[in-house]
Amino acid sequence: MRRVAIAASQTARFTKTSEKSIFELACEPCIDIVKSVRDIDAVLLSTCSTEQYSSTIVSEMLGIKPKISHRIDNLCNSGTNAIASAYSMIVAGLCDSALVIGAEKSDSKGNRLVWDITRGSFNFPVHWAAMFAKAHMGRFGTTEQQMAAVSVKNRKNAAKNPNALFRKPVSLEEVMSSRRIADPIKLLDCSLACDGASAVLLLSEERAKKVENPVWINGIGQQTNSASFAGAAENLSALETASRAAHDVYRMAGVRPSDIDVAEVHDAFTILEIMAYEDLGFAKKGEGGKYAEKNEIAVNPRGGILGCGHPIGATGVSQVSEIACQLAGTAGKRQVKDCRTGLVHNLAAAGSSATVMVLGVQK
Amino acid sequence: MRQFLDYIKAGRFRVPVCTSCRTKAWPPSPYCPKCLSRTAFRKVKTTGTLLEFSSSHVRDHEGLFGVVDMDGIRLVGSFDPDASLSVGMKVRMSRCGVSDAGTPYYWFDVVK
Ligand SMILES: [Zn+2]
Repeated sequence: MRRVAIAASQTARFTKTSEKSIFELACEPCIDIVKSVRDIDAVLLSTCSTEQYSSTIVSEMLGIKPKISHRIDNLCNSGTNAIASAYSMIVAGLCDSALVIGAEKSDSKGNRLVWDITRGSFNFPVHWAAMFAKAHMGRFGTTEQQMAAVSVKNRKNAAKNPNALFRKPVSLEEVMSSRRIADPIKLLDCSLACDGASAVLLLSEERAKKVENPVWINGIGQQTNSASFAGAAENLSALETASRAAHDVYRMAGVRPSDIDVAEVHDAFTILEIMAYEDLGFAKKGEGGKYAEKNEIAVNPRGGILGCGHPIGATGVSQVSEIACQLAGTAGKRQVKDCRTGLVHNLAAAGSSATVMVLGVQK
Repeated sequence: MRQFLDYIKAGRFRVPVCTSCRTKAWPPSPYCPKCLSRTAFRKVKTTGTLLEFSSSHVRDHEGLFGVVDMDGIRLVGSFDPDASLSVGMKVRMSRCGVSDAGTPYYWFDVVK
């Protein structure tokens, strides 16, 4: 099978909101990439914005005449889904180079799941997150302090990331005493929707020969269980979509959880990172809370969604962009030492769908 | 979906049930998710088990809420602020309706 490399990646500075249109936002991280590589066969735009023909408008603005151009929307999972699609197109020989762009405005329609009538009056993402947190606490004795530790770690990491929305660290006490949103979840357990964009350039094996330090996509696992909270997780304390995607990706990449040196996981709420430790096999079932306190492997070095902000269509692309930088050794102040194998874990809508990717470098 | 909301607006909890294999289509759908036959709205059991609950402090969405499973129909219900809840208890839908914002709501009582 043809291999696929990540040859370049860029993330723009995330902001609370801006005057920029979705198109201008989308172009921002692409400028340097497109200046150095003119020969781009595919442009995939990941966004929950409903602007028509948007990937083609962005292609035109960037002076690209690609063979393939379209938008991909699958809520928070959009970016990772778009990269999976670009990967498949290169493997299949439909194209040799693909620019995947994620872009979102803070007021995106994707922030509220209006179709999901199974959630009654309590239809904010924080409400399902509270159910997961309560279930995990009840079943495994996970504590609010353990959840808060995730926020402290990710905000500390974000302080070293010039593109992050939140670059001020927070203390455990600040998280614990922040405003209650839906028990046991507090304000600083939650991420914030924002403006942001990120881009990665994927190349076929042949095209990547000229790239100095390519990062390879060694595996992709995906699972979709439902579109609604009602069908997202049979057991509220684990995400079956994520564990199934992880099972598939480990098999495809031929690696085990213990081989992972660095990971970006979906932490829109602190409890999700704790569940991710378990669903990805980093920690045993029920021990994600304790794992959060040990803080021993590099999870969310860019600051995760909690630290960077959550421009939903851009999130998956920026996660992959971060792991590609880490593996290529270009992550600057937040560089994780000696990493060769990295993982990306992304979710949409209460974990009703999930993507897990494994990236690697030869050293 | 509109028909489901019309029933809810009238205070009646009706769910599409498969005309061929009797599977409930939840969330509501004109097709059976199991055999893809057409569904028809039917009265279903409105007692269930409380799987988890919490308190919301989100502005205009305050209150006690919980996930209820009624023989496979899982939804988030509202509870009286004074209700004393515990996971696994039996609850019954007391009323349902649609808010001004167009969102359906489902209120539950504890079964004594
Ligand atoms: Zn049927």
